[in-house]
Amino acid sequence: MSDDIILEVQGLKTEFRAEYGLVKAVDGVSFELRRGETLGVVGESGSGKSVTNLSILRLVPSPPGRTAGGKVLFRAVAGGPEIDLLEAPEEEVRVLRGKSISMIFQDPLTSLNPVLRVSLQIGEALQLHHGLSRREARAKAVEMLRLIGIPDPERRADEYPHQFSGGMRQRVMIAMALSCSPDILIADEPTTALDVTIQAQILELIKSLAARDRTAVIMVTHDLGVVAGMCESVCVMYAGRIVEKALVDDLFYDPKHPYTRGLLDSIPRADRTGKDERLYSIPGSPPSLVGMPDACPFHPRCPRAMDICRKAYPPETRLEGLGPRTVSCWLHAKERA
Amino acid sequence: MGRYIAKRLLSLIPVLFGVSVIVFFLVRLIPGSALQMYMGTQVEATPEQMEELRRIFGEDRPVPVLYVEWLGRLLQGNFGYSLRTGRPVLPDIVSRLPLSLELTVLALFLALLIGIPQGILSSLRKNPFWDVVNRIVGLLGLSLPQFWLAALMVLAFSGFRGWIPMGNYAKFTEEPLRNLKMLLLPSLAIGIGLAAVIMRYTRNSMLEVLQADYIRTAKAKGLKKRVVILRHALKNAILPVITVAGFNTGYLLGGAIVIEEVFALPGMGRLALYAIYQRDYPVIQGIVLVIATLFVLVNLVTDLIYALVDPRIRLDDSSR
Amino acid sequence: METRALRKNSIALTGLAIVGFYVAAILLSLVWLPFDPVAMDTEHLLEGPSLATGHLFGTDEFGRDILSRIMKGASVSLVISICATALGAVVGVLMGIWAGYLGGRWDQFLMRIADILFSFPSLLLAIFVMAILGEKTYNVVFAIGIVYIPQFARVSRGAILTIKSSEFVRAARSNGASPRFILFRHLLPNILVPLIVQVSLSLSVAILLESSLSFLGLGVQPPYPSWGNMLSAGRKVMVIAPWTAVYPGLAIVFLVLGFNLLGDGLRDILDPRLKNAR
Repeated sequence: MSDDIILEVQGLKTEFRAEYGLVKAVDGVSFELRRGETLGVVGESGSGKSVTNLSILRLVPSPPGRTAGGKVLFRAVAGGPEIDLLEAPEEEVRVLRGKSISMIFQDPLTSLNPVLRVSLQIGEALQLHHGLSRREARAKAVEMLRLIGIPDPERRADEYPHQFSGGMRQRVMIAMALSCSPDILIADEPTTALDVTIQAQILELIKSLAARDRTAVIMVTHDLGVVAGMCESVCVMYAGRIVEKALVDDLFYDPKHPYTRGLLDSIPRADRTGKDERLYSIPGSPPSLVGMPDACPFHPRCPRAMDICRKAYPPETRLEGLGPRTVSCWLHAKERA
Repeated sequence: MGRYIAKRLLSLIPVLFGVSVIVFFLVRLIPGSALQMYMGTQVEATPEQMEELRRIFGEDRPVPVLYVEWLGRLLQGNFGYSLRTGRPVLPDIVSRLPLSLELTVLALFLALLIGIPQGILSSLRKNPFWDVVNRIVGLLGLSLPQFWLAALMVLAFSGFRGWIPMGNYAKFTEEPLRNLKMLLLPSLAIGIGLAAVIMRYTRNSMLEVLQADYIRTAKAKGLKKRVVILRHALKNAILPVITVAGFNTGYLLGGAIVIEEVFALPGMGRLALYAIYQRDYPVIQGIVLVIATLFVLVNLVTDLIYALVDPRIRLDDSSR
Repeated sequence: METRALRKNSIALTGLAIVGFYVAAILLSLVWLPFDPVAMDTEHLLEGPSLATGHLFGTDEFGRDILSRIMKGASVSLVISICATALGAVVGVLMGIWAGYLGGRWDQFLMRIADILFSFPSLLLAIFVMAILGEKTYNVVFAIGIVYIPQFARVSRGAILTIKSSEFVRAARSNGASPRFILFRHLLPNILVPLIVQVSLSLSVAILLESSLSFLGLGVQPPYPSWGNMLSAGRKVMVIAPWTAVYPGLAIVFLVLGFNLLGDGLRDILDPRLKNAR
């Protein structure tokens, strides 16, 4: 693993046992994250993007779910040792959570504990990971509140989540996650539950804070606009697998996978769509993840499906581009970089 | 918060009022007037004496007037006189109150002490077999009649002196340790049913809370399991348990009556029972009023404790 | 998952089995009892349980067979509990439906009454009612029934309130359905579920209340056997003849447990289908 890479996911598989069968939520996902890089993970609901994140931190709820295979290699220090988060003992992983790898979740209303003060929720990670005293932790919490733009932070630190508005709460979540200056921040659809007007602010905040500490960010979203604004590289997920990986510029300029193309085409654009043209959406709906055959999962909806698409899953192919890029599609299987 | 308390206190008044009305009128429904009972012991009386007696017993005035008079006396602390002993009712009740209260409080304490940890522990066990065992044990606790448990205790512990009070008991103010030792078993008999209920509620509440998103957040922060459970989960899960415990305290009070009978303890419950056996109406009225008032107050306190623990209710006035 | 459904059902079924067993014993007792429950046998006073004498649970201080008295007592206790629960249910549900459906003033008034009744601990209320009505066996039905009125009122009112404002009632009304139609087709079926559960649990508590009252001498009067008064009598001789106290108590425990299991299991089975007011 090269020094530049802080996290490498190889062949991650996570499945859930449901009443009707085995759901392969994540079926062989691999990607790399560089230090300080912002990586986007795009996909529809059910594509497996959230589960991928939870799997990295081993937070998948264990009775129904189970990480079935793969490796998640984390190298905290450049040139230092790497550990496989999936294999390491629970205690070691627990120590890393919040300290080296943090996560923020989609719904700030339910993700914050309603009966605990905000200062405590922000500060407890500091107390745990950096050994601060309660007073020191509270002081730092107030500082973070100020940093994230909460007015009158000294007073508001002692308040409870329900006393904050939705956007503020998400800021608190961000403050909580970044309090220990982690190496990696995993943001699971942080703006989906928020008003459009607030979304931009939150994203700006994440961007500036991450830049300040050189935090690598995995930004999970279904919104390509977010990806365009924030990320350097992007992975596109479909039905539990990554179908295309590229630098953002490469992807937007020349999307290779038909699904990616479909996503881009679905974005309503004021300059392209004529007044009377219909909005484009990809026909069909995502497949059930139970009992998937060995084929390209997108083929039923793909405008360019071929015979072979029904018979085997396309191999991951490296392609030319501004940066590293791969695609899993039979259309490009012959091209080799 | 202050406004909340005031509001709740105010709402008590109509309820207590209603209670007093019911108590008064229901006792009057009892067949056979008090005057007749009194006359049963004295065969002769002159017309003047009858006149006087009728005035004393209130038979010359309409019932609503009697109620108002009674209420007035009540509010001044005059609960009437026992038909049997002639002593004023209120001081008698008050002197016996501490024992009954102690039994109830001890029972509540034991119920919480047993129920909550068991509930937490059983919510953490993943094995479904324990799930069923737990439920059955919980339901079993609910099925045990308190008096039977008490009787069994007497049977089992009759050899061990000091653990079973029988008519005599050490007052808390005089001999605290001996007092606690003697009241432990009776309180346990009263509280077991509630312990079972609390265990089930705690367990269910914890199971639900542990599914919440904020628990996932807490884990994502790398907090130790114990911290997650005790600081994050429990504080949320305990809320319905508080409500349940508080509202079931009345059940404990009722149980105390029976237990006092079994162990011959001179508490309020025993006083009530004998008053009923002997048709001592003023005493019955007084005790029922006191108990009902206590019960209502306990409900209020429960609501207040709940509001105290749940900041969403406490800080209702801030809406940003 | 299959096993989960089985587990849910097994609890209710076990409860049903236990209750069924008691009902069978009661039916049996109508035609046959090992001994006459009120017949005193001075030759066999306070004898322990033995197969030889045929007194499987022993005899009491009057030489009466305990097993027969337990069986007889079962019918008394069960009948009283059923009647009391029925009384409380009918009055309480009517109150609750009235309050919930009409709302406004009626709601406040009726719920105030329920609150006042609620402000008495159950046993105390029952004792109080018995004190007023007199210590006759049939009065126990009223005493316990009155205790239940507020509970049934609350449950049914809650169910009505939830349904009243729910989508499908609004849809029905916008389709022009008459109030009566709504009442029968929509409201009543939805009350049924929490009611059934409440009835089962109430039956269990009723048995406990009745036996407590009888134990205190305020319930079923001798010579009618009730598990409660058997225990009260047995208490005096308990130390030398523990079976007089233990067996009646066990009889109570298992029947109450049966109803509790039944109610709990039913709640499990029926609840996910209809997430009702609570």
